[in-house]
Amino acid sequence: MSGQDYEAPSGAFSQRDDATAGSGAMIYRCGDCAVRVPLEKGAPIRCQKCGARVLYKERTKRMVQFEAR
Amino acid sequence: MPHKPPTQEELEKRKIVGVNFETVTDVSSTDFPGHYPGEDHAWDIERFKKGFSVEFHQNDPYEASFSLIGCDASIANAFRRIMIADVPTLAIENVFIWNNTSVIQDEVLAHRLGLIPFTGGREGLHEFLKWFEKPAEGEQPNCTDYNTVELSLDIKCEDNDDADSKETDPTKLYHHAHVYAKDIVFKPIGRQEQYFSGENIIRPVNPDILIAKLRPGQQISLTMHMHKGVGSDHAKFSPVATASYRIMPTITITQPILGRDAEKFQKCFPKGVIGLEKVTAKEAAQKGSGYRGHEGELKAVVVDPKRDTVSREVLRHEEFKDKVKLGRRRDHFIYLVESTGQWESDAIFLESVSHLKAKAKSLEQQLVNMVR
Ligand SMILES: [Zn+2]
Repeated sequence: MSGQDYEAPSGAFSQRDDATAGSGAMIYRCGDCAVRVPLEKGAPIRCQKCGARVLYKERTKRMVQFEAR
Repeated sequence: MPHKPPTQEELEKRKIVGVNFETVTDVSSTDFPGHYPGEDHAWDIERFKKGFSVEFHQNDPYEASFSLIGCDASIANAFRRIMIADVPTLAIENVFIWNNTSVIQDEVLAHRLGLIPFTGGREGLHEFLKWFEKPAEGEQPNCTDYNTVELSLDIKCEDNDDADSKETDPTKLYHHAHVYAKDIVFKPIGRQEQYFSGENIIRPVNPDILIAKLRPGQQISLTMHMHKGVGSDHAKFSPVATASYRIMPTITITQPILGRDAEKFQKCFPKGVIGLEKVTAKEAAQKGSGYRGHEGELKAVVVDPKRDTVSREVLRHEEFKDKVKLGRRRDHFIYLVESTGQWESDAIFLESVSHLKAKAKSLEQQLVNMVR
């Protein structure tokens, strides 16, 4: 076992989803219906399914280290 | 004036702390050199051995109660403090969270995980596993099989399609609505396999500790590193739920307490402290015993003063005030050690003894270096 396994990935981090990689879309979650909402840059902030205007950013996919104390 | 050596009765009296209606007397010990003129109270190993004894009242894996009789409060307290703060255990120290979409925050979850007591093979825990050296700033940690134990927790909550349509209990409606300590999985590495397999596997002492609650779609995915540590660093490393001692209570009935009074007297103490016995013919025949003409009546006798809480309730009653003397034996310590499961309770005490011995040895070495 080595601590190196748990080193945070280096370099620029992208929140883009695999499916939408390259298209420039970011994935959000609708605050009302929890559906996945891919948004292009400059697109209106709006759920494509229910029309809600509150969207949440997804949690980072990066490992986060904590001390258990 | 020549010095008269103290009688046995006088020696016993010196050990007693007086517990009165409103005051406490003779709190400090007096068995040190120079206190009593003409008496030698220099500490001596042979004299200590003669006056010292250990008595076990209960010895279970998770709870042990025993008495140390004939030692000073400083020593008794040193053992207590070492048991709480210096006996090492293994606990979760680092949490690497890959994903946590539950409502419990990452840092709170990590804190909760750290407090879960774990157990495993004794030989592996106490002999094989060594201290983990904390890396210097910017250095990589040196995690190996002999100083780090890896655990993982991977759980996802999903709808239970077999659930009744009228069901309202989340644990039946969903799979893994509750995350328990038993969901944590041990990942043996290297030689850990030979020390921690089968019944010696590293596992939570209490499998049903609730860690988090989930709803469908939420998941927790993390790995954990356990290290050895001591209670003085963090309470999660303490091997005891608590280790404490009480000083032995003494109850001396100075005048007979009979009949209805005896029953009332008994109720002034916790159960089992005071018993009721019939006055014998022999006692009733004795002149000046106070039992004359009371043959067959019930009298109060002290059965088990150890169980007394020294509430002093008895001293509030006018009729008992002058018939009983309460006190505590200054050199009799009743310990209660509750293990969290990584050590046997009695082994924690034995470990504290060897710790104190090691501390004394290192102090001795430092003194030798000082005068050199
Ligand atoms: Zn929506």
